[in-house]
Amino acid sequence: MSSTNVAINGGHSPGYTALAFSRNGAYCYTGGDDCIVRIWKTDAPDEEPAIAPDSGEAITVVATGNDTWYSGSKDSDVRQYRSGSGEFDALVTSVAGVSIRSIAVDPAGKRVAVSSDELEVKIIDAEEIEVLAMLHGHKDCVRRVSWDPSGSFLTTSGADGTIIVWDMTQQDPRQVKVLDGIIPAVKDKDSVEFAHDCSAVWHSSGQYFVVATRTHEIITISRETWTKSSTFSDDSSSGAITALALSVNGVYLASASNKSVHIWSTQNRRLLFKFPDPLSEMVTQLAFSPTKNLLAWTDYSGTLYRWSDPIPASSPSPVKSSITASATRPIRRQATPTLFDDDDTTGNNNDKGKAGGDVDMDGLNDFENEDWILDDIGGGLNDEPEEERAGVTGFVKEMVSVTKAQPAFQPGSTPMEHKKRYLAYNMIGVIEVTDQDTHHIVNVEFHDRSARKAYHFTDHFKYDLAALGERGALYACQPESEHPAHVTYKPYGNWATQGEWTYELDDGVKVLGVAAGGPPPTKSLRMLSDGDMQGNGNVVVATSDNELTFLTGTGIERCSVALDGDFVSMVAGPEWVFVVQRDGATTMDGSQNLTGTLYDFEDLCVLQNRKLPIRKGHTLQWLGISEEGAPTVYDSAGVMYLMPRFRIPLRGTWVRILDTNKLERKVGKDESYWPVGLSGDTFMCLILKGRQEHPSFPRPLIQELPVRLPFRRKDPKEGPLEEHIARESMNLLIGHDALGDDLATDDILKRELALDKELIQLIQNACKNDKLPRALELTRMLHHTASFDMAMKVAAFYHLVGLQEKMEALKDDREDSDRLAHGRDKRRRWARDYDAVPPPRLPPADVVSSRTKAFQDFGPPPSVYRPGLTRATPAPTAKPAHNEREYQMDDEYTTPPPEGKRKRIEEDLSYRDSTSPDGVKRRVLDAPPTETMPPPPPKQKSNPFAKKTAPDTARNPFARNAEHNKSLHKSESFFDKVDAVETGKLKRLSLYELIFALY
Amino acid sequence: MALPVSLRNSVTPPELELIASEQLVEIVPLIAMERTAFISGAYGPLRPPTKAKIPIWMAMNLKFKKKCHIVPPDWLNVEFLQERLIQETSRPEFSQLPFRFAEVAKLLLDVAQDDIQNPDKIRSLLKDIREARQAKSREGLQKIDHSELSLPNLCSMEINEIRPFFVRAMGVLTHITRDAATEARGFDGL
Repeated sequence: MSSTNVAINGGHSPGYTALAFSRNGAYCYTGGDDCIVRIWKTDAPDEEPAIAPDSGEAITVVATGNDTWYSGSKDSDVRQYRSGSGEFDALVTSVAGVSIRSIAVDPAGKRVAVSSDELEVKIIDAEEIEVLAMLHGHKDCVRRVSWDPSGSFLTTSGADGTIIVWDMTQQDPRQVKVLDGIIPAVKDKDSVEFAHDCSAVWHSSGQYFVVATRTHEIITISRETWTKSSTFSDDSSSGAITALALSVNGVYLASASNKSVHIWSTQNRRLLFKFPDPLSEMVTQLAFSPTKNLLAWTDYSGTLYRWSDPIPASSPSPVKSSITASATRPIRRQATPTLFDDDDTTGNNNDKGKAGGDVDMDGLNDFENEDWILDDIGGGLNDEPEEERAGVTGFVKEMVSVTKAQPAFQPGSTPMEHKKRYLAYNMIGVIEVTDQDTHHIVNVEFHDRSARKAYHFTDHFKYDLAALGERGALYACQPESEHPAHVTYKPYGNWATQGEWTYELDDGVKVLGVAAGGPPPTKSLRMLSDGDMQGNGNVVVATSDNELTFLTGTGIERCSVALDGDFVSMVAGPEWVFVVQRDGATTMDGSQNLTGTLYDFEDLCVLQNRKLPIRKGHTLQWLGISEEGAPTVYDSAGVMYLMPRFRIPLRGTWVRILDTNKLERKVGKDESYWPVGLSGDTFMCLILKGRQEHPSFPRPLIQELPVRLPFRRKDPKEGPLEEHIARESMNLLIGHDALGDDLATDDILKRELALDKELIQLIQNACKNDKLPRALELTRMLHHTASFDMAMKVAAFYHLVGLQEKMEALKDDREDSDRLAHGRDKRRRWARDYDAVPPPRLPPADVVSSRTKAFQDFGPPPSVYRPGLTRATPAPTAKPAHNEREYQMDDEYTTPPPEGKRKRIEEDLSYRDSTSPDGVKRRVLDAPPTETMPPPPPKQKSNPFAKKTAPDTARNPFARNAEHNKSLHKSESFFDKVDAVETGKLKRLSLYELIFALY
Repeated sequence: MALPVSLRNSVTPPELELIASEQLVEIVPLIAMERTAFISGAYGPLRPPTKAKIPIWMAMNLKFKKKCHIVPPDWLNVEFLQERLIQETSRPEFSQLPFRFAEVAKLLLDVAQDDIQNPDKIRSLLKDIREARQAKSREGLQKIDHSELSLPNLCSMEINEIRPFFVRAMGVLTHITRDAATEARGFDGL
């Protein structure tokens, strides 16, 4: 990049000098004020160029077709020549006495657009030399014309300051859009400004064009909206833009302003290179060589500059790259703003295919489906079949590893579209990014606003990876010229800025993926709460050094785990991080060959390590955590997999839990699902219509789809029941695995009971249809012993005595072995190391049991003592004692009263007993008086399982209690009085019995 | 109250709205809440971003506090109402709409305009539907006889509208027919 690789040839007399490369790159044509066109051989800078001296006046423009070139001059003629020769071939057109201003040949080389000082633009058929169309619309002369890469649009830039976009696909071209006020209006045709380049330079993707504005900016105009989509700006580039050019593959933009030449990246719109030497004159035209790493320009002094190798070898080539897909291809991340939108590009290809326009445009427009490498980032996964590609470009199909490797991605992120993207979209919240050219605005919102506070900030590092965890958000940016890559962790909570930290990586190391995990908060993080006690979670960073760095939520480096393959994606849960990597290469037959590994946060050991069940030819689309905490993956075939028993080390299996292609709502619709999360029975997703691949802005509502195991039984009654039982059993297993040393939780027992009900329905159905083995099988699946009784009743109803006896035997078996204890022992054996964290978002267990919250107690209200409704027994003195006793009873269920209080109660009781005539009578009848009466034993917080062993007594809790109490207590009268209270309490405690009483 | 005299005796539209606000509507909560008992029943739990079904009055309350987004019912969108309007104007019978659609639509449009797509268009469609139906109910009332009037798919707001007239007309008609009958019997007796 020194002046040694610049060839400077003064060829013309001072004045406006035009420049064009031939399409094969072999020749370079310059036309100047001296009325001649010089034909330079690109390879031989020192050779004397051929000349074409046909013009009578100054040359204003040269343009090239497939094997022809054209010159336009002030003598109002457009001449056609053979490529590389200076022999006049044909006169294309001439206008009435005014000068030609611009010529543009369409990509197919068939149509030539000619603008002159007349108001019309002529479209001429290059072969037949006949005028196809005249474009009327400009109010002043047309300074520049340009074609889009597909040849379907023509852009004309007028001296009146308007750009008109014409649709050229029809016989009669029509105006698509008039863009006013972008380019300057220049009336004086002899002024310097008139020579400035105002043409719309189309990007090779056809998605946008680049134009220099009257405010001396370079902007891009998107084809979809015809509005400004981004700006190229840098402090070192100022002044009027005199020339613009894009490299053939669209990676680089060259601009000339203020007597200097700059090269920009079209991807991140940053200034990359600058021509090192100062220039003496204003640059009039710039051009990239279509086949070489060469940038040429002409200036006002009539000199041709040829700067070879302006792009250093370390950067992507400005022309096409001949790299074929192989496993050694560097990883490219899909989630970054891509240079071309993949889907759009392919769409564009299709357009072109239809138009049939790109048949013979060798090496001009087929770069976009080429796999040139760009800095490891940018570009995406090209889904085109390899054979087709190879056929197009004529490469020999490689016999090794022809499956395209899926690039690394961040689950829940989208590429930049219309200057906006999602960095993360999960069940916790959303991170949205808006591109403001020089910086990004990051906006973080949470679904649960009561738990976390939304915030936004200005981001000068252009973070392109982010993870939203339960306890904090993690952002990562790539290395730029002035700073290395770093990650920033922002824990939630009021004092977030205090907890915030940044972790810098080594120079040149890139971040491939990030994950933030941690136990869900038990309280709102908006308040200052227990957050400090439980830490800020865990942070995992995957880098291009092929390792995973584990950090704590406060930034303490814990470990750097080596990866044995290419990193693809990861997601973190409360206790673990799930990392997907590619083992070696993709396979020859189309499999991505991905492996998922579950690392425990506590001791950083591997919990699960299994291949992902993604079918051949498909890719991983998303990975996440279900609400139960199990890892989930979703593939491009639309199938969701869950690993239910992930807690048992190395024994997890992938279960197909949902096939979206079989969803009822999908029938007859062209839609796809973009997963957000999975909670129990619902699949949370965003629904994308048609060929849309990513959710758009504004943020769509999350849709809930029912999860259905892809079972095949079509029976209308039994099919859904069986499916539900299988699904619920699976969820219960996750719950059981998370229990640790506990036997069961109320929630699990409740769900098991509901499941038993459904099993009984199936048993009944089986009995009805005389399928006895099936009934017996179903009986074996029952959970609670009491459910066996129900099954037996069903059997008895259908007079199936044999079956009933077998059920009885099964029941006896079940009673012998404690199912729950057995399960616990199994768990202990399997996974002593993996203790579960408390269930998400619930207050700690002790709080639940000690106090029920107001409004969340669904039991019947406690019976109120209504003296007016009791039997007319005159016992006025007993009343206060009684009331006190009643409250005391309440307390006894939870906390034993202090000793002193108990004594007083005894006194109260005895006092009351002696005064109540009713009580005296009872005492005589029922119980022998004892001197020291213990208070009634506190009813133990009943475990329904303890009771279940004696179901017949459990049937009538009241009777049993009465008997118990009789032998224990001195007086019965009191219990008579509080009977009403007790019934209420008992009912609530034995919810289990109550539910069973319902059947 | 600015109601016509004839309507003052029956239930007022705000009262109907109050009744309708007991209906359930889907919301996307923005806050977490445990299952909570109210007099009309227990609702919840609210677990963002999972949708929940709660009564309209509660949804309105949460919406006022910016604590939820209301998911409009499937009939409250432009396509559905457009189709119903076409049915309403092209067929003689009333089209099928939820019984309290007018009240619910008004409540939701008042409170959750930002959650509904194209609220202005929906408003005008609802107005058109209402006018078409009003014309029909007026026409139907002409066919009233002393024993019955069959107007299937009439909605609560419309029933309420025709109630005063209908009750009186029915009374008068019954009276007339009874008189005619007794007179006829009288003549027979003679």
